[in-house]
Amino acid sequence: MTRRSSLTVRFMLWICRCWTLWLPRTFRAEYGRELLVDLEHSLREAHERGGIPPILAAGITTLWDITRRVPRERLADRRARAREATPATVHPGRRNRMSGGGREIMTNLIREVRLAVRALALRPGFTIVAVATLALGIGANVALFAVVNAILIRPLPFPESDRVVVIRHHAPGIDLPNLNNSSGTIRLYRENAQPFSALAAYTNAQRNLTGGEEPARIRLLQVTADFFDVLSVQPRLGRPFTSADTQREAAPVAILTHAGWSGRFGSDPGVTGRTVELDGVPTQIVGVLPPSFSSWAPETAALVPLYVDPAGDFGTFGLELVARLNTGAELESARGHVRDLQARLPEMFGDLTPEFLDEIGWSTSVERLRDIMTRNVRSPLWIVLGTVGFVLLIACANVANLFLVRAEARRKETAIRAALGASRRRLTAGFLSESITLGIAGGALGVLLAALGIDLLVSKGAVDLPRLSEVHLDATVLAFSGILSLLVGLAFGFLPLTRAFPGSVAGGLAGAGRRTTAGPETHRTRDALVAGQLAIAVVLLVGSGLVLRSFTRLRAVEPGFDAEGILLVGLSYGSGSDLAEASRFYRQVKDRVATLPGVEKVGVTSGFPFSEGSVNGGSFYIESRPRGEDEIPPVTMYKPVCHDYFEALRMPLLEGRTMQASDGEERRALVWVNQTFANAFLDGEAIGERIRFEEPEEGQEEQEEEDWARITGVVGDVREFGLDEEVRPMVYLPLIVGNWGYPELDRMYLTIRSDRDLAGLAPSVRRVVREVDPRVPVLASRTLEEALARSMADMAYTMVLIVVAASVALLLGAVGLFGVVSYVVGQRTREIGIRVALGARGEDVVGLFLRQALRVTAVGAVLGLGGAFALSRVMRAILFEVSATDPFTFVAAPVLLVGVALFATWLPARRATLVDPLRALDSE
Amino acid sequence: MRRDPRSPLDLLPLKPAWFHVLLALSAEGVGHGFQIRTRVEERTEGRVRLWPATLYGTIRELTEAGLIEPLEGEADPDDDQRRRYYRITGPGQRVLRAEADRMQSLVDEVHAGEARTVG
Repeated sequence: MTRRSSLTVRFMLWICRCWTLWLPRTFRAEYGRELLVDLEHSLREAHERGGIPPILAAGITTLWDITRRVPRERLADRRARAREATPATVHPGRRNRMSGGGREIMTNLIREVRLAVRALALRPGFTIVAVATLALGIGANVALFAVVNAILIRPLPFPESDRVVVIRHHAPGIDLPNLNNSSGTIRLYRENAQPFSALAAYTNAQRNLTGGEEPARIRLLQVTADFFDVLSVQPRLGRPFTSADTQREAAPVAILTHAGWSGRFGSDPGVTGRTVELDGVPTQIVGVLPPSFSSWAPETAALVPLYVDPAGDFGTFGLELVARLNTGAELESARGHVRDLQARLPEMFGDLTPEFLDEIGWSTSVERLRDIMTRNVRSPLWIVLGTVGFVLLIACANVANLFLVRAEARRKETAIRAALGASRRRLTAGFLSESITLGIAGGALGVLLAALGIDLLVSKGAVDLPRLSEVHLDATVLAFSGILSLLVGLAFGFLPLTRAFPGSVAGGLAGAGRRTTAGPETHRTRDALVAGQLAIAVVLLVGSGLVLRSFTRLRAVEPGFDAEGILLVGLSYGSGSDLAEASRFYRQVKDRVATLPGVEKVGVTSGFPFSEGSVNGGSFYIESRPRGEDEIPPVTMYKPVCHDYFEALRMPLLEGRTMQASDGEERRALVWVNQTFANAFLDGEAIGERIRFEEPEEGQEEQEEEDWARITGVVGDVREFGLDEEVRPMVYLPLIVGNWGYPELDRMYLTIRSDRDLAGLAPSVRRVVREVDPRVPVLASRTLEEALARSMADMAYTMVLIVVAASVALLLGAVGLFGVVSYVVGQRTREIGIRVALGARGEDVVGLFLRQALRVTAVGAVLGLGGAFALSRVMRAILFEVSATDPFTFVAAPVLLVGVALFATWLPARRATLVDPLRALDSE
Repeated sequence: MRRDPRSPLDLLPLKPAWFHVLLALSAEGVGHGFQIRTRVEERTEGRVRLWPATLYGTIRELTEAGLIEPLEGEADPDDDQRRRYYRITGPGQRVLRAEADRMQSLVDEVHAGEARTVG
C-alpha cells in the first residue's frame, strides 16, 4: 500500500509539473519552484491521510486549479511585456542549469510539444476521442500487465526463488496422473541429492486451535527441518525447526506465519515461548515467519514439524517434495538426474519391478515452484493479456485512421509550410510530436485508470488468483506503460506521415484547393487499416465464441444432484479421534439439525472436492474376481456419508436399497457405489458383490467376515470433482463399515436441504453443534449453489473479459468502417451526383458502397479466421468440451462480422442516395 | 515593475484570496507560501483553500500591486532553502485596513437593520 501510494505521489507530481508548463515562463521562473515544493508537501500530506484516493483528489484539484489560473496569468504576462519596453529582465528566482546544446534541444522539444498541444486543443472533439480511446486501451493493458508481471513473471519473494523446484510423479496407468511423494521416494532423493543443495518435504494439514475464546480451525503446513533452507526463509522471531523437532517423539512445537501471528495473536512480540493447544495437544510456539512467506501460502496460520520415516517404503503418497537447485545446476540436468534415479526404485523396494513401473506409466516431473503455483491461471492470464493487446491495436488503428483523415485535410497547410521553407524533418517532427503527445496523454490517463482498476481488483479480491496481494503499480509496470505510450504514439504517428507530404509543393497547393477524390493509395492505406481491425475483431469474436460455448456446455452439465436449497456446514471433530465416537457425534448433530424448522433432510459427507473437504482414493479388491500376482488392482475413490445423504442431494437410487440409520449404527459391512463404478468394474452387476480396500492376506483363505463389505445399492453419478472433471468410480461408506479402521472422520460437512432462507439457518446449526459438543469448531458455511458457481468462477471471469474485449473490438471495427465509408461518401458526392443525374437509382448507389465494404470485410474476415486458427492451440487450455476449431464458432464469427459491417456501411451509404444531383455538381 | 496605488480605495472591494493573504501576513507576520496557505485554512476552518496556482498567482498580483514584498536572503535556516518569505508593506496594511473598515460598515448596516426589525 505505502509503496504504491508513494509511487502515486511521484506520478501525480510529475503530471502536475508537466501541467505547469501551461503557465507563462516568467511566472514559472518566479514561483515555479515554490509552487512545486508546496505541491509535493500537500500530496505527501494526502498520502499520510490515507492511500491513493486523497492523493488523486488533491492532484486533480491542483490540475484544475492550474488550468483555471492559466488565462489570467497569461494575460498578466502579456500586459507586463507590453508595459515594459526593455525585454525580459533576469528574474532573481530563475536559474538555468542547462548547457547551451541541451537547452536548445529542450527548447525545441518544448516548442514542438507546445505547438502540438495547441493544435490538439483546436480540435477538442478529435483530441478527446483519441485520448479516451487510447487511455482505455493502454489502461487495460497496463492493469493486466501488472497482474501478469506480479503473478507470472516476478520471482517469488524468496532469495533465488527460481532455484526452488517441486518433484512429482505420475502413474496414468492406474488412473493416478498426479502423485506427489511417499516417504520412500523422499528417501530415494535424499540419498541421491547431487543436483540439490537441500530437499524438504511438506504437506497441508488442519488443526483445531483451542484455548482461546472460540475454538478455531486453522490451516497448517507440516514441514521437515530443511524446509527453511530450501526456501531460504528464516523466522523473524525465534528459531526455525531443528532436526530434533522433526523426530517421531519430539516435543510439539510450532512456528507462526505472519498472517497467523497478526491474525490470531495480535502481532504480540512476546509470542515465542507461549503454549497453545492444537487438536488438544499442548504445543509451544518457537518462532514467527516474515510476511514474505505469506504470499506463497496466504491462508496458512502456522508451521509444525513433519516426521518422515527414514526407512519409509514406497507405499503411501501424500507428501510434497521441494528442493533447492545447487548453484550451477540447471533445471534440465536436475530433470535428467531425477529421471535416471527411477531405475533404482526396484533395488530399493523389493516389491517393485521395472515391468510394473512400465505398466503404470511411471514418470517424474521437476518444475519450478512458481510455475506449479500459477499453473492453472497461466493460460487464462496470457490469453486475456493478449486479448486486451488486440483491443489496443484496434484502438491504435482507429486513431491512426482519424489522423489519416486529418493529414489529408492538412495537405494544403503542409504544402504552405513546406513552401515557406520548413524542412521535411521539421514537418515530420510536427506530426510525430502531435501523435506522441496524444500517446502520452492517453498513457497518463490510462495509468490512472489502471491504478484504480488494480486497487479494485486487489482490495475486492474479485478473483481467486495466487499471489494477488503482490499485484501493484511498480517501476517495471510504469516503465512498461511509458514505453507502451511512446510506441502507441509512434505507431499511429508514422502511418499518416506517408500521406501527409504531397509529391510536390505545387501539386499539394493546387490539389488541396479543390474537393477531389483522394488517390487510390490513400484508399488502400485506409482500407488496409480497416481490414486489419476487422481481422483482429474476428480473432476476438472467435475466441469469445469458443469460451462462451464452453461456458454454456459447462452450465449444461448435469451435476447429478440438486444443488438448489442445500446448505453446507463444516464440522471438525479433530484428527486421531475414535471412529465410533466421531460417527456418534456426527449422527447426533445430524438428527438434531433435522428437527430444526424448515429442514427437510440432512446428510453428512466428508465434502465435495470442488468446494471443500476431501475424498480418498485407493486400490481395492473384489471377492469374486481374485487377481493374479502381477495384476495391478483397480483404483476407486471412496468417501464416508451418512444415511439420508442421497435423499438430501436428491441423487437417484438406481438399484438395491438406500442407506438406513441402522447400517451405520450397527457397523454393518455394507457399501454403496455409483454407476460408473458398477459399469467399470462389475459390468453393471454390482449388487451383492463384496469388496475391500486392504489387501487380502496371503494364504488365509477364510477372511474375517467383516473385512469384506457387500455392495447394497447403486446410485447415480455425481460430478464431485467439478463440472469440468470426469466422473470417477466412487464408493460410499456409511461412516463406518464393519471393522474397517478408516477413513478418518476428522472433518465432515452437513448437507442440509431446506426450503427456507439458507443463510438464516446457519446460526441455528451452530447452536446445535455447541449443545452437542462445545469443543467442536463450526467451519464456514455456504450454499452448495455458491460452491458450484465458485468452481466455475475462473472460466466465467475469463469469459466476461474476452466477451467484453470482443464486443469493444467489434464496435471499434464497425466505427472504423463507418468512418471510412462516411469519408468516402463525402469525397465522392460529385461522382454520385453525376450517377444520379444519369439515372442511377438509390439501391445502385448503396450497392456501390456495400460492395466496396464487403471486399474489405471479406479480406478482414479471411485474415482473422487464419489468425484465430493459428491461435487455437493457445485457446485449447481453457476450453471445455468444445474443439478449439469448433466449426460453428468459426462460421458464426465472420457472419456476425459481415452483418455488423454491412450495417455500419449502410448507415453512411444511405446518405449518398439523398444527394441532390444539382447541388452535388454545384459543389465544385 | 511595481506601481503604487493612488489610493487604497481603488482596489476595494478586495478579492477574497487577496484579503486572506494580506490578513495572514498582517496578523501572523512574515511567512512563506505554504505558511500563508496553512494560516488561511486554519482561520477559515478549512473553508478557504488556496491551491498552489491560485496562491502564487495571488502572491504575484499582490507583489505587483506593491501590497506585499518578498524578503531577500532572510530564509529561516531550518526551513527549506527553496522557499521565499513575504511580508506585508505599508500600502498593503492601508488597503487591508480600508477593506476591514468597508466590511465593518456593512456589518454595522446589517446590525442596524436587524435592530429596526426587532424594534
